[in-house]
Amino acid sequence: MRKNLRVLLIVGLSIIFVTGLTYFDSFLYRDPVVKVQQVTNLNKSTSTDEYKNTDTQVTQRVSGKLLNGSNKGKNVSFKNTYYKSQLTDTKYRVGQQVILIKSGKSYAPKNVKRDTSIVFTLGLVVFLLFCMKFDRKKLFISILINLVIYYGYLQIIIKTHNSVLLPLTVITALLISATALLVILGPTYPAIMAYSSTVISTTAAILLSIFVLAISGYSGVHLELNDFELQPYLGVFLSQVIFSVLGVILDETMDISSSLIEMKKELSDVEEKTLFKSGINIGRELIGPLINILLFIVIAENLNIVLLYLSNGNSIGYTVNMTLSLGITQLLISAIGIVLTVPITSFIASKIITRRLN
Amino acid sequence: MLYLFLTFVVLLLMVTGTRGFTLLFGLGINIISIVALLILIADGFNVLITTGIISMIILIVAIYMNVDNANTANTAFKTSLIIMVVILLITIPLEYWASAQGMAAENQDELEGFSLAAGLSYPQLAISIIVINSLGVISETSVAITSGLNEIVENKPTLTPSEIFDDGFSVGNKILNTQTNTLLFNFFASTFPLFFLIHTLNYKFGDIINDKLVVAEILTTLICTIGVILTVPITSYLIYRKAGKKNSK
Repeated sequence: MRKNLRVLLIVGLSIIFVTGLTYFDSFLYRDPVVKVQQVTNLNKSTSTDEYKNTDTQVTQRVSGKLLNGSNKGKNVSFKNTYYKSQLTDTKYRVGQQVILIKSGKSYAPKNVKRDTSIVFTLGLVVFLLFCMKFDRKKLFISILINLVIYYGYLQIIIKTHNSVLLPLTVITALLISATALLVILGPTYPAIMAYSSTVISTTAAILLSIFVLAISGYSGVHLELNDFELQPYLGVFLSQVIFSVLGVILDETMDISSSLIEMKKELSDVEEKTLFKSGINIGRELIGPLINILLFIVIAENLNIVLLYLSNGNSIGYTVNMTLSLGITQLLISAIGIVLTVPITSFIASKIITRRLN
Repeated sequence: MLYLFLTFVVLLLMVTGTRGFTLLFGLGINIISIVALLILIADGFNVLITTGIISMIILIVAIYMNVDNANTANTAFKTSLIIMVVILLITIPLEYWASAQGMAAENQDELEGFSLAAGLSYPQLAISIIVINSLGVISETSVAITSGLNEIVENKPTLTPSEIFDDGFSVGNKILNTQTNTLLFNFFASTFPLFFLIHTLNYKFGDIINDKLVVAEILTTLICTIGVILTVPITSYLIYRKAGKKNSK
């Protein structure tokens, strides 16, 4: 117990230390960073737009001390205008650190300095993990390896200008799911079972969906409306589908195959058919919650733009069509994948288990 | 898209039989709740209160319609409610600190032609986004841990509290791993276009780590992970209290 406390103390202190470092790291920035010391409101005007949205526009004069550069310690000030709703603009507060752009002799705000808050939140996650008896090593290793793979993926798509996006995504997906399975299950035959089921189910779902979408001529699917209108539209869309559904399908295949292995161990004379049927029964319970996970993630991701459309006097039908059609299509493909995974995994697992354990 | 939907329904009914109707019904209610949330927020209701109420409805539907065992469902629901409140309490100060609300320069194309004086509070919406993002993960995690732990506790009725917690962590380890994978892979899905764009805008490392959209995505993933982590001790505690009550009778 005492040893645990000591570890916790060390982890806690180092997190506070690193968070503190980012608070004082402005000397690393090439752009001037200011610590806001005084904010005065110069002007306030409330307006109602053509859609009857009432908003207040505020102009503030923000002044503070420069934290870095040759003018360190100098007092500077800049003007900032924001709407109270703060969709794209920001209200600056006393105590905040703000990154500035210098143009001539005047300064303009560029960004709030957010690194401290990110590092702190990351530290909070690590601290909580150390507070509890989780198997942290495995978790950290798998996350680290996957982040490295993702970084490599980003570098390659940037260097190739997105021209081989989809094949790269497939390779990356194969790598990150293999990492995840190897770390959780180890190099065992359940891992191979879950891996093959995951790959086959995801491929089947995506091929089937592309086929169905092609038949209907992609009607109602605005591929060009993806985030930041990145090209090639279909490649970007499918890559997003693959990444987003992968974790859920991995979860599903692992659940089904490990339950079937348990069952075979308890009832060694169980038949292949019975195993397949119980696989379906177990999988049935998983479908609803897994679709829910992706449903809420998709909705949450688009909430900003949906509300922007709605507050600009668009009907809910038009808004959904313009902002959520891609998300819903993505969700439907994922849902098809989640459903297909159940019979595919049950089939593969029942075959392999009957052969291996007999 | 209609064809895709029909394909989904046919496959669902083929695999799950009549249970498929319950599933579709549950999904339908969730979608209606979300639409209600959108309309209420757009009409100017308080973002946080609306999110809280709708999230509660969603959790009820997500847990009670998918779990047959009433005992498991009750504990899982209590756990997810507690986690939702904890997430709200963590997110409010963190979002205030990071001010990572709304949209940014990278969204310029999407924003063209819109009136930006929307009249609703995007800082609050940023909090609501994280809560909604976490709903599915939390309800799934709490159900999985509760049913795993309940099974163990029912088979050995005389468990000490530390044993229950140990069992909770052994059940929780695998779930924590899979849920972090889900969250991490979804982070990949939503950020690779963003990072690609950021590269074309010639951002430096310092710009990326302070970028509003990047920070918002990282915060969402991290806070959802905190929710998943906390599910284990809270579930263990609730089950321990229940087991204690039974023993004293």
